[in-house]
Amino acid sequence: MDKIIELKNITKSFDGEVVLDNISLDIYDNEFITLLGPSGCGKTTTLRLIGGFETPDSGDVLFMGQRINDVPPHKRNVNTVFQRYALFPHLNVFENVAFPLRERKVPRDEIETRVEEMLAMVALKGFEHRAVTSLSGGQQQRVAIARALVGKPRVLLLDEPLAALDLKLRKDMQQELKNIQKATGITFVFVTHDQEEALSMSDTIVVMSEGRIQQIGSSQDVYNEPQNAFVADFIGESNIVDGVMLADRSVSFSGHVFDCVDGGFGKNEPVDVVVRPEDVDIVPEGQGQLSGVVTSVTFMGVHYEVIVDIGGFKWMIQTTDFVGVDAHIGLVIEPDAIHIMKKSEYSGLYGDYASFSNEFDELSDAESEGSE
Amino acid sequence: MKKASKIFTALMFLFLFAPLVILLVFSFNEARSLSVFSGFSLKWYRELFRDTETLKAVRNTLVLAVCAAGVSTVMGTAAAVGIHRMRSKYLRSALDMVTNIPMINPDIITGISMMLMFVFASRLLGLANSLSFITLLIAHITFCLPYVILQVLPKLRQMDASLPEAAMDLGCTPWGAFWKVELPEIMPAIVTGLIMAFTLSLDDFVISYFTTGTGFQTLPIRIYNMTKKTVTPDMYALATIIFFVILALLLLSNLTDSEDSQKLRAARRAKRAASGRPPMDPRRRRILYACGGSLAVIAVVAAVVFAVTETDNKPQVLNVYNWGEYISDGSEGSMDVVKEFAAWYEEEYGRPVQVNYETFASNEDMYAKLSKNAISYDVIIPSDYMIARMIDEDMLLPLDFDNIPNYQYVDEDFRGLYYDPEDMYSVPYAYGIVGVIYNANVVDEADTGGWDLMWNEKYAGQVLQFNNSRDAFGTAMYRAGIDVNTTDRSQWDLALESLLEQRRSGVVRSYVMDEVYNMMESGEGAIAAYYAGDYFTMLDAQAEGVDLRFYYPERTNFYIDAMCIPSCCQNKELAEIFINYMLSKEPAIANAEYTYYASPNRLVYEDPDYIEEMGEEAMAILYPDWGDFAEKYNTYAYRNLDNDLLDYINSLWETLKIN
Repeated sequence: MDKIIELKNITKSFDGEVVLDNISLDIYDNEFITLLGPSGCGKTTTLRLIGGFETPDSGDVLFMGQRINDVPPHKRNVNTVFQRYALFPHLNVFENVAFPLRERKVPRDEIETRVEEMLAMVALKGFEHRAVTSLSGGQQQRVAIARALVGKPRVLLLDEPLAALDLKLRKDMQQELKNIQKATGITFVFVTHDQEEALSMSDTIVVMSEGRIQQIGSSQDVYNEPQNAFVADFIGESNIVDGVMLADRSVSFSGHVFDCVDGGFGKNEPVDVVVRPEDVDIVPEGQGQLSGVVTSVTFMGVHYEVIVDIGGFKWMIQTTDFVGVDAHIGLVIEPDAIHIMKKSEYSGLYGDYASFSNEFDELSDAESEGSE
Repeated sequence: MKKASKIFTALMFLFLFAPLVILLVFSFNEARSLSVFSGFSLKWYRELFRDTETLKAVRNTLVLAVCAAGVSTVMGTAAAVGIHRMRSKYLRSALDMVTNIPMINPDIITGISMMLMFVFASRLLGLANSLSFITLLIAHITFCLPYVILQVLPKLRQMDASLPEAAMDLGCTPWGAFWKVELPEIMPAIVTGLIMAFTLSLDDFVISYFTTGTGFQTLPIRIYNMTKKTVTPDMYALATIIFFVILALLLLSNLTDSEDSQKLRAARRAKRAASGRPPMDPRRRRILYACGGSLAVIAVVAAVVFAVTETDNKPQVLNVYNWGEYISDGSEGSMDVVKEFAAWYEEEYGRPVQVNYETFASNEDMYAKLSKNAISYDVIIPSDYMIARMIDEDMLLPLDFDNIPNYQYVDEDFRGLYYDPEDMYSVPYAYGIVGVIYNANVVDEADTGGWDLMWNEKYAGQVLQFNNSRDAFGTAMYRAGIDVNTTDRSQWDLALESLLEQRRSGVVRSYVMDEVYNMMESGEGAIAAYYAGDYFTMLDAQAEGVDLRFYYPERTNFYIDAMCIPSCCQNKELAEIFINYMLSKEPAIANAEYTYYASPNRLVYEDPDYIEEMGEEAMAILYPDWGDFAEKYNTYAYRNLDNDLLDYINSLWETLKIN
């Protein structure tokens, strides 16, 4: 696969505040790549750099090997789907989609066929003469996608395009976007703060925080092999505890020595240990490697979410077996469920469920959506 | 409670719209009077379209409004876009505030400061005329600008900031993105701004008054200057037309703005569903309708006005500055003196001439404009005392009487008068004498003859006294035989006593200026002192049951208005030719017949046709036998008093009004 876009050592700041801190990233032809991170992590700025709406303070943006730092947006073979769609309210659906073709002076007949083709692809046939203001959110979204794709760009940039849709519609659109990407073979660069969305759609996920790239990898990579506590916590749920590497494939944490599958650390090196909540088995007290007291149980539909106090550290465990609050239980962790990470600046910040509550989580989610 | 609020609402609407209804009704009145409706007629509308000076003023106003609205809309939109794109928040809000200041600034301050700036700038550049159409236009653009910005800026802020980015993303240059996406998006606000600027410019008086130059009089200024006589009813007709034009514009601009109107939207949706065909984008259509409609309204009005007045761009220019309604202007079948002069001149001299005829409302107004050197006129027609003052201040040029042979027809009585003792600077145009007007159905013939009638307690509540100090004191001083130009303050105190007595005795109904016409015509007042010429105006409009008559007391005020050439004159010979023309038979008679004032010109008052036209009675009143006119005039006419004395008289006047 060929590199289509390369970002090289890019730094960008606004009003003295560093937004991107020495970022390097390669984007390959024909892939669905997602920039994932909380609001303020720099993912939208990265997208705008590729679109040409911002220029880097230092570093280079390459498009098919050519430096394009100073190429204005209208000369880049890249189109954007904006967060709030940015449809032109004074034009109808047909004219919105035809806009880029008219700009390029495409012949009339060709415009007609290409617009019709695009509208068919996004299932909006028959809506040609409707005012865009009369469409629902999902329909507007599709017009925006059709408009961005009709010019056959090499790369499509999508800036949280699904954030304003309700849950059900969002799921449908995720699937649809994935299908469109496969059908057209255009490289999609997708920005989101929703990790589930990222996991389900992407070929490659770029996890960003505080203007830096934390990890680049496939969905499985970033989930199963997070590089640091930030990634582990941001993607899915994780219990992250301090541990000490006794030897290759042997780690000690929470007062117990576990077998594991990782190696290559120094002897007695302090590490972060990640255990996913669904990978912990509950057994009767005394029969497990660890034991603790259940402090809360929440029914989630497919499973229960159980918070267990183990020696003062709160673990989250997802189980299909019911346990009562205040029950004393034992816990078993298989070697391949234990993931060892090197200590990083994020160590100790995440992975403890002491202050956890569902409500709290949703509140902070809503906040980050609104402010991006 | 419900009933009360209904009544209140009704009262409010009455309060708001009664003046407009009255204006509308009286624009269709057969007669001139405001007190009697004597039948439906389109007479005043016809008159309006014959009044070339007024139509020219309308045309000027429209040209100005279109130019000012156009330029300020373009500039204002550009400024709004500029302010909107500023990165610094502080600079942006500071600019926002600064552009708002002219809106809250009183017009009078804007007007005066602009006039000073223009005069200053032209001195700096060494220009002769500092005020012109251009300065007026600049002033109008200046005060319209903030309103346009105020309309456009919020619309820009409302707009999704990613719209222009999306356009660029899809292949537009930044300039193209502005034209194709941003501009259509803010167009409703631009149209509203345009219409606002147009209406603001259309009805501005104060700022225009200070900043306009020669050759360009707007409609509001012309109407204001008509107050020498009363405002003629064709102005009601004009005001009615303007009201409906503005109303149409307002409705159109509301149409562009009613985006949030749910009703409209629902109606549109229903219509779309019913017709089954894909209509044009409704927003776009509404904007188009509004733009098109506004332009159509403006175009129709402009076309009508331009069709009636003809444009003439001629090299010779003569600027005449006269009282309002003080020249025969072609209305009611009379001669259009200004137009005829231009035609006569071209025939006589083989060169075209453009006459800019403008009017003022008082000697003091005229003096203020001329003394600022802000504008230049070639011929002015001030009153006697003002001529004396202007000669004193070197503001008039001596006339070359070789160019004014018709001066021979001016009666010998009008030579060597106090204001121009050597007859060097002025040629008398018209004169008037104050007499007493009374309603013969109320007043006993035996009580008439002197000033005592105005003090006669038999007619309690029937006397209308002047509402200005000089004229009111005049009546008391003539009555008592005191010199009206005395500098002896005790004499003025005596006159005050007399006026106080008049007031306390209850004979005075009210102190009036222009209201005198309506009050006398309707019979509301029975006795008033006023000029003979004005008596005829009232006579024409008197209501049934009113029988107005007139006499001169023995001692009374005279005034003479005379043609002069101010020192700022640009074409003295042309000015003298104009003065000479005004003295020739036809125009002189036309003017005398039009104004109803007495003419000092023998060609007029000895003309049998004129005498027949005026009637014996009117001739007797207008041209009474005074014996030695010059002596009477020099003895009794008001002269300029020094400022200290005027202040003193005004303080006495205050005492009277407070009591």
